[in-house]
Amino acid sequence: MTTLFGTPDIAIGMKESVSRLRLFDGPLDLSWRHCATTSDFIAELFASRFQSSRNDYMEVRHSIGYLVNELTENAVKFRAPGEIVIEASMDSDSFKLKVSNDVDGENAAQFQSLLADITVGDPADLLIQRIESNAANPDVGGSGLGLLTLMSDYGARLAWIFSSADESDRICLETYASIPISQTDN
Amino acid sequence: MEIKTDDYRVWIEGSDIFFDGVMRLASSEAGSPIMALAKSVLASNPSSITLNLKDLHFLNSSGINLLAKFTIEVRKHPDVRLVVRGTPDIPWQSKSLPNLKKLHPALVLLMN
Repeated sequence: MTTLFGTPDIAIGMKESVSRLRLFDGPLDLSWRHCATTSDFIAELFASRFQSSRNDYMEVRHSIGYLVNELTENAVKFRAPGEIVIEASMDSDSFKLKVSNDVDGENAAQFQSLLADITVGDPADLLIQRIESNAANPDVGGSGLGLLTLMSDYGARLAWIFSSADESDRICLETYASIPISQTDN
Repeated sequence: MEIKTDDYRVWIEGSDIFFDGVMRLASSEAGSPIMALAKSVLASNPSSITLNLKDLHFLNSSGINLLAKFTIEVRKHPDVRLVVRGTPDIPWQSKSLPNLKKLHPALVLLMN
């Protein structure tokens, strides 16, 4: 069974040449630190072509780094034991990312319920509403502020595909993202 | 008072709170010591509090949420002026700091 949330057209697949990073769970003992090193690495890899303009380079490097960091943090935090696969590509006007990992049924259900709330409406308004409700109810976790920040402040388009192949509790989660990349000065 | 890790440092000078480095908080609980530090400044009843973020090069969404929560705390004290100093040279600041002003319109956001 397959369930989709978010913008369908970015979840069709990444046709361009894709760079792929596979983070194995066991030997790496995946942890929070890997999010930083992985996102810094991918950001540097893709932003280096913008080095002729310091402003463009800083902007692109930061936006890619922020996006990869947030989505890798989510994967590390909520995944079922197993690997995380990160695929990235860039064309003239956008950077695309796909993060794949397994989640258990309970996390999948909670995340789907959150996505149903944060994918309908204006992300900028939803972000402020969520911050307010979070501050009023400090015990509520998994608020989706990172995803809303990406959509609101970085112009990210996001999509999620949940697929379960059999009756086991493991669900494959693919998170797709696309952010605009613009060259401001040359 | 100061909070120092390998990646970032937060400290107080008078009623100014300085942030420096790269801050990737694993959760809002991970930001509790910083929130406690900031609230201690608020508890001292200053006329003004300044968050100086000019050397904070990266802040993940848990950290941004922490700034937002503190902004809402200060909003409960209309007699306390909140100033946020950032820089347009650090992209996350130009993108996300204006949200604080949406939460607390009286907040003074200085981006220079």
